[in-house]
Amino acid sequence: MLEQLLIFTRGGLILWSSCRGLGNALKGSPIDALIRSCLLEERSAETSFAHDAYTLKWAFHNELGLVFVAVYQRILHLLYVDDLLAAVRREFAEIYDPKRTSYDDFDETFRQLQKEAEARAEEMKKSKQAGRAPAVPGKKQGAGGAAQRDAKQKGNGAGGGGSGKDDGDGDGDSGKGRWLANGNGNGQEKGARERSHAPPGSVVVKGKENGGPQAGAFDVNKLQKLRSKGGKKSDNTKPASKGGEPKKIVKKNRVWDDSPSESRLDFTDPVDERGEGIVEAVAADQGESMMDKEEDLSSESEAEEEDEEVEGAKPGAKKKGWFTSMFQSIAGNAIIEKSDLQPALKALKDRLMTKNVAEEIAEKLCESVAASLEGKKLGSFTRISSTVQTAMEEALLRILTPKRSIDILREVHAAKEHGKPYVIVFVGVNGVGKSTNLAKVAYWLLQHNISVMLAACDTFRSGAVEQLRTHARRLQIPIFEKGYEKDPAVVAREAIQEASRNKSDVVLVDTAGRMQDNEPLMRALSKLINLNSPDLVLFVGEALVGNDAVDQLSKFNQKLADLSTVPNARLIDGILLTKFDTIDDKVGAALSMVYISGAPVMFVGCGQSYTDLKKLNVKSIVKTLLK
Amino acid sequence: MSMCMDQWISQIEQWFHQQPVEQIYVAVAVLALTVVLFVLFSLLKTSKSNTIVLAGLNGSGKTILFYQLRDGSPHQGTVTSMEPNDGTFVLHSELGKKGKIKPVHLVDVPGHSRLKPKLDEFLPNAAGLIFVVDALDFLPNCRPAAEYLYDILTKSSVVKRRIPVLILCNKTDKVTAHSKEFIRKQLEKEIDKLRTSRNAISTADISDEFMLGVPGEPFTLEQCRNKVTVAEASGLTGEVSQVEQFIREHVKP
Repeated sequence: MLEQLLIFTRGGLILWSSCRGLGNALKGSPIDALIRSCLLEERSAETSFAHDAYTLKWAFHNELGLVFVAVYQRILHLLYVDDLLAAVRREFAEIYDPKRTSYDDFDETFRQLQKEAEARAEEMKKSKQAGRAPAVPGKKQGAGGAAQRDAKQKGNGAGGGGSGKDDGDGDGDSGKGRWLANGNGNGQEKGARERSHAPPGSVVVKGKENGGPQAGAFDVNKLQKLRSKGGKKSDNTKPASKGGEPKKIVKKNRVWDDSPSESRLDFTDPVDERGEGIVEAVAADQGESMMDKEEDLSSESEAEEEDEEVEGAKPGAKKKGWFTSMFQSIAGNAIIEKSDLQPALKALKDRLMTKNVAEEIAEKLCESVAASLEGKKLGSFTRISSTVQTAMEEALLRILTPKRSIDILREVHAAKEHGKPYVIVFVGVNGVGKSTNLAKVAYWLLQHNISVMLAACDTFRSGAVEQLRTHARRLQIPIFEKGYEKDPAVVAREAIQEASRNKSDVVLVDTAGRMQDNEPLMRALSKLINLNSPDLVLFVGEALVGNDAVDQLSKFNQKLADLSTVPNARLIDGILLTKFDTIDDKVGAALSMVYISGAPVMFVGCGQSYTDLKKLNVKSIVKTLLK
Repeated sequence: MSMCMDQWISQIEQWFHQQPVEQIYVAVAVLALTVVLFVLFSLLKTSKSNTIVLAGLNGSGKTILFYQLRDGSPHQGTVTSMEPNDGTFVLHSELGKKGKIKPVHLVDVPGHSRLKPKLDEFLPNAAGLIFVVDALDFLPNCRPAAEYLYDILTKSSVVKRRIPVLILCNKTDKVTAHSKEFIRKQLEKEIDKLRTSRNAISTADISDEFMLGVPGEPFTLEQCRNKVTVAEASGLTGEVSQVEQFIREHVKP
């Protein structure tokens, strides 16, 4: 049974709902969950969404800015939902008027549509089944079914498919037959219920099982009447969509005077050059961490270079398409169709992939953008490619904008007030730079007068503890270590206890690198996280990774969820992107990782010294991706 | 080709000379007048904006308020918005009044954190901002709400143009809703903490260009350069008189 069918605008106003009496009686507001965690995350290219005990399916009407959502119990596999959504979309678009807000008269139409869709699904089931049974009756019945469908759509009155249905029931093999009978039972029940609602004059589909002559005789006249009514009303329907004007890139003036700050260029460090022998030397005075620096200068010049490049590279292409597109845009703002979008999307996908975005994600993003544009009216004086580009830019900006607060210092202060240390666990695959960036984060925190303690929980790789000890000595911060061959979860717990004893504000937990497929190690990590419930689980990933980013993050998340013993497991909260200085403009890994995990990029590691830690500049990433 | 052009030009010149001088003067005058009027009109339009922006976290009741102000009814309820709602209309409660009333341009910006950048599009020509807070479910949302408010109060477009902000405690029809004094205190406390942590972080990515309040003193909303007030309302039952008052204060009828 369909639980609810809801029609609302993209602005969020519910226009019509199939069960108004009960209101939103659905548990846990699945529709809000759908919008928040699916439609707004550019995942609308997927076909269904599961939340608690419900499955949700949806359809868009982009021209009118409407969303149709159907909710049903997850255990039921309703075949007719897609069909019904399409039908409702078609019918509702006819009577929709942006000024109107209540559509009580749509109830009747919906009831008819639902019946039609249910009956059609039933037929489909039967014809499939009959295909397996002896061939001749199957054919006959299939024809009957088709005839019936035609009859219904044309509104010519009762079709003769009722008898065919009965045959199908008889011939079916036992397993499927039972299910079918079940379905029929439902249908009948529904029919009966509906009849009690329906006005006395209308004919109700009850004849399905009896195979009476009026089987399939819907109240077609009524439907027609409704349609004509809808037609009248739809006269004053106005297109609600506005032409999205592409944003123009404003060219900034180059600032010549400031030279880049000293410490950024100065990567050599006297302490480093003296070698490992003199590790005692204090490295706590390397200047400000780059987390705290303005980077306006660099981004500005970058932006300018970009603009220049675009201008330099494009004029030929622009001139060529100019006349044709001009003609098209004057000739009328056509409705965008999927076929129109394909070439532009293909080009966009290729461009994203050259920027090292994982293929799977580029594909999904393009589909989602297509879903959001299909059926929209093209604004006058715009080209499809620029419309697609704008839509993609918006989508990327939306994805990369952090969902949770990335103000770690604020959270540290909050934890301090509660009198307990703030615990950050660094996880990731081998050799991505967990320990190095952990030291950078420690350095950054130290600069804000936060006392930091390191916990060496990499008890697996030889030399890991020594590496961390070296960092600790250079930064002059305490380190908690218990040597090798210990359970990392226990070491971490003891470290946190130690930290709360000596009043450290932050504990940075270093873990062993592990491949996402390594079950025993992932189990150990899950144990570590669930035992200590850290405040932040930071996934360290390198920006060099391509298609594997998807696999790494999804497997890490999945394993953390599957292998945990507690019901609501901790997942990855944030991402630290390392080796960002090595990739030039191939910044796609950032997008892949954020898209797949939904977690924001909290830090970016961009060099070898302690100061080389930055925040992600979302706007420049988007610009680079679409360059 | 050039011959043809020359002919045309000479023909036009001839026709021009044939016209009486007065007519040309009149034409020029009419042209000048329209241009001046157009410029004046556009100037007037930009100087007195009538845009009021509704902002706030997810589920605080912005969309309901929007429809309550427009139509005077919450219709059949709302779901999470995916796009801003905006409309220019005369407030529902003023429909019965006589005389010409200036309509209000009301914008409801979605609260989902992914859509927050949309706010920047509307702020540059806003006459006022209503920050909606859920008074019923306030404590769990206190910190994110304070962060959002902090972001708004430190935005250069808000500070420079001194856009008045109304902190609206919504859902006060419920018995367990918090009082506006309590909410005000909590928000001030949170913003005070944010002040220290935010200023420690770089200004590279976060665009707060202005320091809030007086350094060394606990933060209060009076310290803001723009006017910040607190009010109560209930979107569901239609108790929105304080909101209408705020709107009419800043968009003169």
